[in-house]
Amino acid sequence: MLHIKCPYCGIRSQKEFAYGGDATVKRPKLNSEVSDKEWDDFVYMRKSPRGKHTELWHHISGCRQWFKAQRDTTTHEIFETAKINEEIK
Amino acid sequence: MKTITSIENIYQSGKFGDYQSKNEEKLIKVSEVKNLFICQVVKYKNLKIDITNKNIDGLNLPKELKTCTNSSTRILWIGPENWLVTSLKKDLLLEINNNFNSNEFAVTDLSHSRAVLEIEGELSNEVIKKGSPLNINDLKEGNCANTVYNGITVTIDFIKDETKTVRFFALRSFGESLYESLTDACLEYGYIAK
Repeated sequence: MLHIKCPYCGIRSQKEFAYGGDATVKRPKLNSEVSDKEWDDFVYMRKSPRGKHTELWHHISGCRQWFKAQRDTTTHEIFETAKINEEIK
Repeated sequence: MKTITSIENIYQSGKFGDYQSKNEEKLIKVSEVKNLFICQVVKYKNLKIDITNKNIDGLNLPKELKTCTNSSTRILWIGPENWLVTSLKKDLLLEINNNFNSNEFAVTDLSHSRAVLEIEGELSNEVIKKGSPLNINDLKEGNCANTVYNGITVTIDFIKDETKTVRFFALRSFGESLYESLTDACLEYGYIAK
């Protein structure tokens, strides 16, 4: 089982969290012209990297906050977590 | 109007589990906490206001994983700028609504939407360990935590270290499951349901 450090509550069991997807995906700018491909990429297309990956997690059974986590997709080691408005180095 | 709690029809008083030939003082005490006023106070996001001078029943709003308490009211931190107020004072909602501007805070009465169970006794920690992944060594009197207990999302309020007393809050619809989970976990040690 993973232990994940919530930026608000501290280290907790993975049982309390829900995975929320890739944190690097950027939504196309509002009111800008968006092609079908750009929209398709934003909604559906995801990379499946091996190694460090920045992800969104939700402390759903805890403080109910979304935050960012940098995790190794091979070893599951979590290097860093940050509040949603903070950057992961 | 009579209020009916979610476990009113299944809650059984008496002694259960491995209680025979044990000192009654050592047994775990399980009880349902009724007639509690419960409300949630949430500060709206991105609002820059000072909350240090805000108080409810003379209590300041607590910081991360802490509680503030007096003889009738407890305030629990349940998330960033999010608090759960429990009180024996039924008319506290009026005071909160007067002190907390509705443009800055969302105040919601949850009195009828929670099931509240309390366990008391030296072995309370063992009961928590059976169902929750929480590291309870770090949590003492005056702390609280949102976590899961056998898959049920609960708020655990650590009320007293001496005669270890812990209170569980779950959504009303999970009350029966939580009651079954807690009492099952207590069977091994023997318990008295008040």
